[in-house]
Amino acid sequence: MQDSNTIDCNGLSPAPTVLRIMQALIGRKDSNVPLNVLVGSDCDCARLSVSLGDLADDVQLASNLRQFATIN
Amino acid sequence: MFEDPANDTAERHRKQGTEPEAPDFAFDPDDPWTQTFQAGLERADLKGKTVYEVGVGTGVNLAFILRTCGAARAYGSDLDPRLVMLAERNLRSLSPQHAEHFEPVHGSVSLIDTDDARSKITKTDVVIACIPQVGEPNDLRLTAFRKAQSVELPDGAETQAEDHIAHYYPWTAFDEYPYNSVGLGLNEALLRRIRQHAPKAQVVMNFGCRIGSDIIFECFEANGYRPEKLASKIVHQHVGTDISFFVALEKALCGTDLEKQLVCKFYADPDGTHPLSATDAQRLIEKDPHVDLYHEVSVIRGIPIEN
Repeated sequence: MQDSNTIDCNGLSPAPTVLRIMQALIGRKDSNVPLNVLVGSDCDCARLSVSLGDLADDVQLASNLRQFATIN
Repeated sequence: MFEDPANDTAERHRKQGTEPEAPDFAFDPDDPWTQTFQAGLERADLKGKTVYEVGVGTGVNLAFILRTCGAARAYGSDLDPRLVMLAERNLRSLSPQHAEHFEPVHGSVSLIDTDDARSKITKTDVVIACIPQVGEPNDLRLTAFRKAQSVELPDGAETQAEDHIAHYYPWTAFDEYPYNSVGLGLNEALLRRIRQHAPKAQVVMNFGCRIGSDIIFECFEANGYRPEKLASKIVHQHVGTDISFFVALEKALCGTDLEKQLVCKFYADPDGTHPLSATDAQRLIEKDPHVDLYHEVSVIRGIPIEN
């Protein structure tokens, strides 16, 4: 199963990013904390959240790892 | 679309009066994938170069690059340790004058993950590979993803053919690579390793473009390579290869407004004029497991982008 709570989607276009997030959420051990998703600095996070629908509540999007420390 | 490879591999072997030894555990050297790969290798400017093949299989590509493409030296390895020995034997019979130009990396080598392999990669000009782009059907996380999309594994998909590892890779083991999400994790892992150990080496890789060429190009670019297509051919979808992974990808994107960004590319005809999504293709397979379906195979060269 998914061991880390952070996945790297940097460089991925929106469709494979959404797929990767879906796949990671399915394989998670701890679903009580949001999944950290590292995205590129050019990612349209608002649009990505819309594409994720309800799953958007289960993820934290950030373009560098230090932001996760701030969020969590 | 490129023209079909001019010289059929089996015909070439026949003319030369020699056939490679091809046991069931090796990928069929007369498969159209091999023909397409060799058409691309002919266009890859290998003359005088040192070439490393990741996944040597029967060794027919080694013989081809040394004899026909004029490569000066070849290295090669395989995950199945029997295959590198088979490749040595076949090279001695297919092209004895070039046998001494091949230096094998013995043992079971995943990608280039041994000291000997990495050492040889650092001396390599061009790395060539045709490695799996479909996750192992029994992979636990892949199974969970497929079930979440209500996609069933077809009957018989769990059955492992003798050359199983030529068709599938352990999907979860490569999940650290972003493009694993679309079945390119193993290929992306190789690109990253080459970039690390041989940053100036070109790569020439053979892909079944069921996921579409655009996303394969995207993977090359994201990993520091400028991609270009060297050869392409529409081939039969291998009857034994499970496509439920591609169906699950399409289903997962339903309702995301991204459906059109990733549509898998199968065809109903050998000319590639009647495209089918994976979902359409799976529907046809369910009606008739032996239905003729096709997809593109492309040889893509990656030229390292200067930092």
